[in-house]
Amino acid sequence: MVSNIKWSGIKENLGFKRLFWRIFVAFWVASLVVMAATGYVLVNEYTANNYNNRFLDDATNQAERIVWRYEHEALTNGRSKSEIKEWVKRRNGRENQLIPMLISTPDNDVVYHYRMNKVPEEHRITREIYGPSNIRYIAQFRQPQTPRIYKQVLSRFQSVQFIFIFLASAMVSALLSWSIVKPIKYLGAFSRKYANDQTATPVPSQLLTRGDELSDLAADINFMVSKTADAIGAQQRLLHDVSHELRAPLARLQASAAIIEQHQPENKHVLQIHNDCHRMDQLIQQILNFSTLENTPQNTEQCDVIALCERVLDDMAINYPGIPTTLTFDQTHRDNATINGFPEALHQALDNIVGNACKYSNKGQPVTVEVTSSANSVVIVVKDNGIGVDNAEIEKLMQPFYRAGNQMHTEGFGLGLTIALKAVEKHDGTLTMQSPENGGLRVEITLPKDSTTQL
Amino acid sequence: MENEKINVLLVDDDQDLCALLQEFLEGDGFSVDAIHNGDEAVKTLLNTDKYDTVVLDIMMPGMSGLDVLKSVRAEKQTPILMLTGRGDDIDRIVGLELGADDYLPKPCNPRELGARIRAIIRRTQYLKATPTTSPSELHGIHLDLGARQATVNGKSIALTGAEFNALSYLMERVGQTISKQEMTQEVLKRPLEAYDRAMDVHVSRIRQKLAAAGVKNVIQSVRGVGYQMLTVPQQSE
Repeated sequence: MVSNIKWSGIKENLGFKRLFWRIFVAFWVASLVVMAATGYVLVNEYTANNYNNRFLDDATNQAERIVWRYEHEALTNGRSKSEIKEWVKRRNGRENQLIPMLISTPDNDVVYHYRMNKVPEEHRITREIYGPSNIRYIAQFRQPQTPRIYKQVLSRFQSVQFIFIFLASAMVSALLSWSIVKPIKYLGAFSRKYANDQTATPVPSQLLTRGDELSDLAADINFMVSKTADAIGAQQRLLHDVSHELRAPLARLQASAAIIEQHQPENKHVLQIHNDCHRMDQLIQQILNFSTLENTPQNTEQCDVIALCERVLDDMAINYPGIPTTLTFDQTHRDNATINGFPEALHQALDNIVGNACKYSNKGQPVTVEVTSSANSVVIVVKDNGIGVDNAEIEKLMQPFYRAGNQMHTEGFGLGLTIALKAVEKHDGTLTMQSPENGGLRVEITLPKDSTTQL
Repeated sequence: MENEKINVLLVDDDQDLCALLQEFLEGDGFSVDAIHNGDEAVKTLLNTDKYDTVVLDIMMPGMSGLDVLKSVRAEKQTPILMLTGRGDDIDRIVGLELGADDYLPKPCNPRELGARIRAIIRRTQYLKATPTTSPSELHGIHLDLGARQATVNGKSIALTGAEFNALSYLMERVGQTISKQEMTQEVLKRPLEAYDRAMDVHVSRIRQKLAAAGVKNVIQSVRGVGYQMLTVPQQSE
């Protein structure tokens, strides 16, 4: 299960983007240019002279055949000259194989004519042809023009070999590009994953043993990961130590205040000291809760959400005796409301949310907690009838130490909702808040029954 | 009158805090000694019965409060109040399971500490004053209230003071649902507080010990209310 999650997370990120295509296109184009250049050099060897000679050979050949046919068919069998052209066409199959030429007898009787009208005299080449009966004919061709070099190269490229080379170079380019981009992608995905979850496994060893710059990068990332882990551990210890150390003087302060109180029971400053000690103690506790929630991986357990809610409401009854609370759930399927999660974190979240509801409710106004469960999730809705929150402020409420403008007079630090949100996120759940028109606040927590964040 | 003062032993590595608490508690009418490390505390406690109650800090360098608790409980039933970090549920529960009588989150208001010590003393004195009544018997559980000895089907089981009281309280009121508030008030002699799981842990320990001795499903939790000793054991699935 662990590796499945890891890989599916990374596979999603293998959609190649800019770098892959850049390397691919650059390499491919480069290889094609090299091939074209090579082709050019090869074709250039085949000089214009060669081409001319070959053209004249071909043309003379065709002219001889025409003359032969002429003598054989037109003179002997009395066929018309136009039929000869048809025959030549048929024989050659394709029109473009017909070479423009003009064949005439020495006494200027035209035997054969094909596309020579527009060719000026100076571009014509004249050859003497002898027919089977040894009659001399005059054949005129258009002076051969060496085709443009790209055409020659292109004609070379229109072959099976070339398509094969074309595809092969595409494959090689893609492979090269992939071999560079894939580890980068992987390392990117790894870093992103690590940012969210420090318990992720280290960079796989096959990346480290590549022996190139990318494996250096992987090693550097591994180094960073271990440094970060150290730093987080140090931060954890520091937070724990600091809060423990803060508590010791706090305890002494409280004891001193209590001694003053023994001697001067009327001293109102002592009460102030006691209240502030209590507040500081709560703040230290919340900061500890917050850091513990963010950093320590715990093992999941079965959590009975309804039992947790009951526990929380029991405590509320003692903390806020003037606020009636009700818990509703499906009595017949109460065992359904069980999720796989972290009971302590969940308890903290519910405690903070229900505690807020009680804190901001007016005396006598009920706070309701409703638990519903489906096949995949458990939904907890906490509603109060208090002052509510301006809907524009709801997002900010989740930030540490933020407190809504209309709440500054009540006791608190602005950490409660942040802790609740962290705890819900730890369960892959969602927390939404809305302040309905008629006042109050409605908090809805959805917890999936099978959380997948845990590795 | 000196003899009638309640003798308290403070065990905490914070010497300044001990001095302050000592001054406060003495002003409040207790006789207080302080010890600053675990080893010495164990030695002292095993050698003398002078102390009526012990206030024991969990977080101590070297031998921790929990180690001290374990060593002392192996031989003595001196009531012990644990000081725990606030919200350290695990410490709290482990402490109670090892036989602490109550806990108090630290830092605490010393007045609360004084009140808790008095509650523990009231409880022990109440027990000492309880006349040796006819033994209570139910589901094969036999409680000798005089000797504070519990036996199940003739086999003796080890219950801590708080556990014995809780069991006896429930057995006397068989069939009634007793709220957690009432149980805490009557058994631990102090009011129930928010986030107070002491009674839950005590009852859960009683259940485990009874189950280990073969008596199951006799104490029922009534959700959101409290506990009930059943007249007839619940049929297990």
